[in-house]
Amino acid sequence: MLELREVDTAYGPVPMLRGLSIKVQPGELVCLLGPNGAGKTTTFMTVCGVVRALRGKVDVMGRDMASLGTENLAALGVGLVPEGRRLFPSLTVQENLRLGYDAVSGRGPDFQPQLDKMCDLFPRIRERLRQAAGTLSGGEQAMVALARALIGEPKLVIMDEPSLGLSPKLIDEYFEITSEVHRRGTTILLIEQNAEMGLGIADRGYVLVKGRVAQEGPARELLSSKAAKSLYL
Amino acid sequence: MAELFVQQLVNWVTLGCIYALLAIGFSLIFGVLNVIHFSHGDVAMTSPFIALAAAQALAIAIGVSGPVWLTVATCIAVFAVGLIGVILDKVVIRRFRDAPAMMALVATVALGIVIRELIRHLYPQGSNPHAFPRLASGVALEIAGVQVGWFTLLVVSLTLVLVVLLFAFLRLTPLGLRIRAASEDRIVARMMGIRDTRVFRATFFVASAIGAIAGLLFASYAGVTRFDFGVMAGLLGFSAAVIGGLGSMPGAILGGLIIAGIEVLAQTFVPDGASYRLVFVFLLVIGVLLFRPEGLLGRPVMVKV
Ligand SMILES: Nc1ncnc2c1ncn2[C@@H]1O[C@H](COP(=O)(O)OP(=O)(O)OP(=O)(O)O)[C@@H](O)[C@H]1O
Ligand SMILES: [Mg+2]
Repeated sequence: MLELREVDTAYGPVPMLRGLSIKVQPGELVCLLGPNGAGKTTTFMTVCGVVRALRGKVDVMGRDMASLGTENLAALGVGLVPEGRRLFPSLTVQENLRLGYDAVSGRGPDFQPQLDKMCDLFPRIRERLRQAAGTLSGGEQAMVALARALIGEPKLVIMDEPSLGLSPKLIDEYFEITSEVHRRGTTILLIEQNAEMGLGIADRGYVLVKGRVAQEGPARELLSSKAAKSLYL
Repeated sequence: MAELFVQQLVNWVTLGCIYALLAIGFSLIFGVLNVIHFSHGDVAMTSPFIALAAAQALAIAIGVSGPVWLTVATCIAVFAVGLIGVILDKVVIRRFRDAPAMMALVATVALGIVIRELIRHLYPQGSNPHAFPRLASGVALEIAGVQVGWFTLLVVSLTLVLVVLLFAFLRLTPLGLRIRAASEDRIVARMMGIRDTRVFRATFFVASAIGAIAGLLFASYAGVTRFDFGVMAGLLGFSAAVIGGLGSMPGAILGGLIIAGIEVLAQTFVPDGASYRLVFVFLLVIGVLLFRPEGLLGRPVMVKV
């Protein structure tokens, strides 16, 4: 569903990703870990086509990102949660969700039932639908960001540190929901710093250090491997 | 005294509406592209010329003239200017949306010069002023002994209708929602499947067509049009948008009314105020930029990283 092969990227003259190879198979939940500045968000942006690969190949849903614009991803069934949530702050929560729904469903007819579903999943959202998204609390924004990515029922969801800044209780809830979405058949690439939580629900994991994959393997193995821990904890 | 007051009130409202319509275009384009389109005034002021040309073409081709056909000609002009805006965006302005502000400034100022010179050379006797008819004439009503013309009512009602339509378009239509989203975060908008080409096209069409209407009213108010009216229209519209807060629609309207207010006050109370009016207008612009750089109703200026 998603594959990076030997990808290099750079910001101006500064190289960032170096020969990065990552693969996410249909139905998998893959966790991408790494310390600050490792290049996780750069990887996210490269997958989305916001940052272009200088070398190598980026395939998403069987399409080559070299010739595919960011704006075409959603229609292929890709839901995105960018770093820092990035809701449209002056749009209402409902408008944010509407855009997320239209993007993936191609303006399908089922917005209302899907909206209800999301409100059941994230009860906090329901009474905030008419509120400007920028006025929500950080935790609520995180919920809306995830709901915005999920509401159109994407096949693949890519999230960049969605749990950052949430209270422990909310983090549990967040991972519970992510895991549930995965169990229902959605493929997920989860970018995380919280190794225990991330690997706890993932099938496989990658540890990114300085733009390279330092370690990869089944989540359980990574979780118990000392090497992985020492790399970033 | 009451008569003078009412008379100036009428002038104020008329001018304020025209400036507001001009300012809306600046604000809309800035909000979406983050580019100040300095040639917007020039684009807007092509509309009276296009309307005159269209009226003549209609007269020659099918031998019709009169108020109805003048209206048809102005509609043609509004539509044509909307298209001109779309083309200019595609060919020039869009390319500067991520460039340093200085480059966009130079490019759009240059574009304005190109537009003015093209009018001057392509329009028959383009260097001369051309009479432009009142789009509505006659007295509609009398307040305190002051005659209020149909033209004033036309300007006010047209402005109200346009503002309401624009508001409804931005708030209630899917395209309007996408325009607002793209103006807040273009990258995430693309992640949400929003094509910025479409957003830009719609924005420029709407902004330029509203500018065209302002241009027609401007020329109609003055009774003439000239190839270089775009400079003044641009400066006044831009200043109104800045005072109100670039990117804010209510701000643009407020800015238009304030600028027109100052102009009218200067003309009424300052000896020889007519020639000084712009001094006051631009002193105010400087003052606002100094003490409230984000404008009266604008969001605080943020440094884009
Ligand atoms: N637009 C940019 N221009 C220049 N350098 C950048 C840009 N974005 C990121 N970088 C640099 O690239 C490196 C990797 O950044 P990235 O955001 O991918 O890290 P990350 O793994 O997501 O870190 P974090 O966990 O803190 O989010 C950093 O050193 C950063 O300074
Ligand atoms: Mg990051």
